[in-house]
Amino acid sequence: MPLHITDYSDEILHNISFGLEAGSHLCILGANGAGKTTLAKVLCGLIDSDAVTIDGKSLRHLHGTARAKAVNYIPSKLEIFDAHMRVEELLALSHFDTALHIGDALERLQITHLQDHPCQTLSSGESQLVLSASALLHSARHTLFDEPTANLDPMRMRTLFHLLADDAVLQSKIVITHNLELAYKLGFDILYLEAGHIRFHGSAERFFAQSQLDTLYHGSVKNLGDHVVVSL
Amino acid sequence: MKTLVLLASLSLLVAAPFFGQIDLPIDELLQPHSMAHQVFMQIRLPRVLLAFLVGGILSLGGLVFQVVFRNPMSTPYTLGVASGATLFTAIAIIVGLGAYSPLFAFVGAMMTVLILFAVASRFGGYDPTALLLVGIALGFFYAAALMVMYALSTLQESYEILRFTMGSLDIVGFGQIGILAAAAALLLLMMRYYKEAFKALLVSYEFAFLQGIHVKKLSYTLLFAVSVAVGAAVSLTGPIGFVGLIIPHMLATLYQQSAEKLLVPSFFYGGVFLVLCDLIARSLADATLPIGVVTSFVGAPFFIYLLLRKRK
Repeated sequence: MPLHITDYSDEILHNISFGLEAGSHLCILGANGAGKTTLAKVLCGLIDSDAVTIDGKSLRHLHGTARAKAVNYIPSKLEIFDAHMRVEELLALSHFDTALHIGDALERLQITHLQDHPCQTLSSGESQLVLSASALLHSARHTLFDEPTANLDPMRMRTLFHLLADDAVLQSKIVITHNLELAYKLGFDILYLEAGHIRFHGSAERFFAQSQLDTLYHGSVKNLGDHVVVSL
Repeated sequence: MKTLVLLASLSLLVAAPFFGQIDLPIDELLQPHSMAHQVFMQIRLPRVLLAFLVGGILSLGGLVFQVVFRNPMSTPYTLGVASGATLFTAIAIIVGLGAYSPLFAFVGAMMTVLILFAVASRFGGYDPTALLLVGIALGFFYAAALMVMYALSTLQESYEILRFTMGSLDIVGFGQIGILAAAAALLLLMMRYYKEAFKALLVSYEFAFLQGIHVKKLSYTLLFAVSVAVGAAVSLTGPIGFVGLIIPHMLATLYQQSAEKLLVPSFFYGGVFLVLCDLIARSLADATLPIGVVTSFVGAPFFIYLLLRKRK
């Protein structure tokens, strides 16, 4: 399998093993503190380990552009040290897919107007969209999105949903989210983490069966057929 | 505004060698064997060149350190490079090898860098805070050792050590300027080579890593290159403070551009700043003021002003 993690453990995660087929996608769900972001950072190499292999090669032994093209991680917040770097300059730094123009990526996320803005003046939602545009330009074989819709207004969330749902966009997407409706509509396989353990790994269909939801969410999530909602 | 500053700076650079305690009439200057010609070629010109190169190295070094350490108060001396140079100069003076003090100073600066990197190689990842703390600890250690040197020295030796710590652009020949020019050129070329990677570092360490950059290696390479150039500068002039702190901040305000576009301007304006400070030092008092005193007098208030303006 192209992306594989074998028997990984640390202070937060325990005995994590799974693989991702070529071109397939995944949603990672789980409560706050379950270890989702930690898992993403292990998978992209930000947390160093020898448990991850990509296309048969240990991630630890991938370097430079080869690593950058294999896996990318889009954090939930844009952290930027320099006060004056503009959006376009930031995007140029991850412009590995030269077939795609920066302007097109901006247009795809409907943020063309932000092109010349300094990154530090962006709102959290805007910077999330800029990060997603950078994911398109980076175009790694595996792209991990960490709560890509957390700060988006409903219209923007829709834009991003269509992007993530588009099979022509990015080879393999791994989306961490708390938004069950998003996960439901994307229909990707689900990996559910609980206290650092994989509690569920399987198809969206099985995951969103009411009986399964009841086991994991203790009655606070309802599948209404067209939608999955949190019952407050 | 930018053009105005550039023009003023260029005219300052051209005019600087003509100012000093004795006037140099133009007609005399043009005669190769006149006193004026000698003063110009052997004292004024080397001094301006030295000031420009040292200012450039310190300022560019400051910019690089601030990015690599993620700390706006970092200067090229943050890692204790200057304290190492000072201590070894003191040792050279005390053991009667004062004539070789630049060599000693350079060894002191480099030894500091090597100790730091030896310690840092034991860190798991790249840890700027720990590196900074080790640098500070080393600084304290050197300061204590310097006190020991003062205690052991005669009055004359103490005075010489003190003069070094104040910074001076006095002793120079073209040979030393050649060494500094080479160090400056190497540093500039290196920054040009690493420009893209440096730019990714301006976003965040994680971002740089995800673009395929080996952050630890890159950071150490940059710190090492700056430290070597700064070591060379300090060994000739003594520690001259504030250049590496003020100029990058000023330029960020003036240019409103990301730091990788400020690499060359930092070098240039750092050089101009030190030439200007030297001009002030030479013109104000009857006896030339130590250059380090002038940069601190100009630099410290200016820095506070910058901070206050930012807070508004």
